[in-house]
Amino acid sequence: MKKQTARYKRFTRSRFGNAVYSLILVLAGLFTVIPLVYSVVTSFKPLDELLAFPPKFFVVRPTFKNYIALPELLSNLEVPLSRYVMNTLFVTTSITVLQVLVSSMAAFVTCQVKNRWTKLFFLLVQFALLYNGTTLAVPQYLIFAKIGIIDTYWAYILPALASTMGVFLVKQFMESNVPEVLIEAARIDGAGAGRIFWRLVMPLSKPAWLTLTLFSFQTAWAATGGNLIFSESLKTLPSVMGSVVSSGLARSGSAMAVTVLMMIPPVLIYMATQSNVLETMSSAGIKD
Amino acid sequence: MKTVRKSRSIESRHSRNGFLFILPWLIGVCLFFIRPLLQTVAFSFAKVSVDLGGFHMKFAGLDNYKYALFESPEYLNNLLDSLTEFSYQIPIILILSFIVAVVLNSRFKGRSFFRSLYFIPVIIINSVVMRFLGNSSSVEALSGAAQSAYLNGLVDFESIFSQMGIPAETTNLVFGYVNQIFDLVWQCGVQIVLFISGLQSIPEQLYEVSKVEGASKWEEFWYITVPMLGTSLVLVVVYTVVDFCVSTNNKVITQAYKVLLDQQIYDISSAMLWLYFAVVGGITALLFVLFHRTCLKRWQ
Repeated sequence: MKKQTARYKRFTRSRFGNAVYSLILVLAGLFTVIPLVYSVVTSFKPLDELLAFPPKFFVVRPTFKNYIALPELLSNLEVPLSRYVMNTLFVTTSITVLQVLVSSMAAFVTCQVKNRWTKLFFLLVQFALLYNGTTLAVPQYLIFAKIGIIDTYWAYILPALASTMGVFLVKQFMESNVPEVLIEAARIDGAGAGRIFWRLVMPLSKPAWLTLTLFSFQTAWAATGGNLIFSESLKTLPSVMGSVVSSGLARSGSAMAVTVLMMIPPVLIYMATQSNVLETMSSAGIKD
Repeated sequence: MKTVRKSRSIESRHSRNGFLFILPWLIGVCLFFIRPLLQTVAFSFAKVSVDLGGFHMKFAGLDNYKYALFESPEYLNNLLDSLTEFSYQIPIILILSFIVAVVLNSRFKGRSFFRSLYFIPVIIINSVVMRFLGNSSSVEALSGAAQSAYLNGLVDFESIFSQMGIPAETTNLVFGYVNQIFDLVWQCGVQIVLFISGLQSIPEQLYEVSKVEGASKWEEFWYITVPMLGTSLVLVVVYTVVDFCVSTNNKVITQAYKVLLDQQIYDISSAMLWLYFAVVGGITALLFVLFHRTCLKRWQ
């Protein structure tokens, strides 16, 4: 460790400063990881250790019981579990694909066409970044009711059209990574907007839309439909799993097991897209 | 003359195509963002009554805002509470993520590992875990559980403290801060990445020049690194403020939701939310202008 700290001297003055910095780094890292480790560890605890007071951090006698109990817990549902799984898969894929496509298209335009209107669009995007969905829940519900999509798959999917975060990310990336000259050349060679978009812009901005894929996947994966979905046959995995979580203290082991299981897909996608994600987040910061 | 007209027509064809490209998103935003937004503004200035026929609105001026400010029992307190919370949490987050970013920006082994480590909360915070742990936010529940287990199980700080003769009040205070550290660290991910990108955009020559001129590392830091970070600093501040102010475990937002969902009073809850946004937005704008006037100008 000491050898490592000696290497970065650019911003620090002394050995003491180095020590302080690496201490902060490791401490902050620990604080980041502990909750994660704790939830994984807890999911392997037997009941008596779960209820022990004061709670212990590490598991003494690890057991798979919490995981084994899950199928039984989920067996007496109105609709077979596979239905929920299929719903989740369908909703997650369609939201992700739609969101990535729509945002990339909008970003492509705001990036290529510079006039009063696109400037206004981008201002709108930045403004919309300031609001989270829940603030607008009630009026949104009214609109959903008006266009008659409550309690259908559309209620999950359609709001994905209005992804402001996506447009922002992809646009910032395109600004610095898709050369205007290239687009101009393609245009002169007679390529239409659609062709330019598919053949040039999308491949060049791959890191950006991969990042967006990750973000929309993780929100879509957690979508429960809230108060927009009533029929059991349209509900998703998180809402069923949520019922396990809220079923009391004795189930807290299984609840943690569920949490860990549901955490896996987003983390896997993160690992697959990781290098791209950091690159995109960086380019989002450089401009403006 | 002819060529001008021709180029214009190509231009207009481009923008028509562009319009088609942007259309789906535009429809989405108008339908699911702008319309609801305007509706809440309308709610906040009206007296809303609900019956089987739907909503009936009657213009009521500033009544709802007056009610929220002067008659609602907790609103003002909640507002002040969250503002004081912002006032110390946001600087802590900024400083912490800045330090981590500076360290991560230098070259050492395991750098990419640490970078992705700090980004993990961003992935998880927003997703499933958040919704799972019931009404309280996941971070709170997760970190709270971890923290209590950590403190009770691994190291029994409390007994150590009491043996040293430190009163329980101090201990509780310390634990309160430790508890918040988890929350704060978990909210640093994006800021760290933004800061790193800012640091990387500082041209290397500046440092070389200052080295030749004989500046100390300390001067280098204050006269090159900090001023050059100006714009990303603004970005990070705005991001952090927004992140804080819309988080669902904020007191004002919780109260507004309670009024909204439990009591079904649309007008007052809209007014509460808008007032809150206005205050936070106003303060942010003020800080922004001050920052621009004093720091950025001087740095240039």
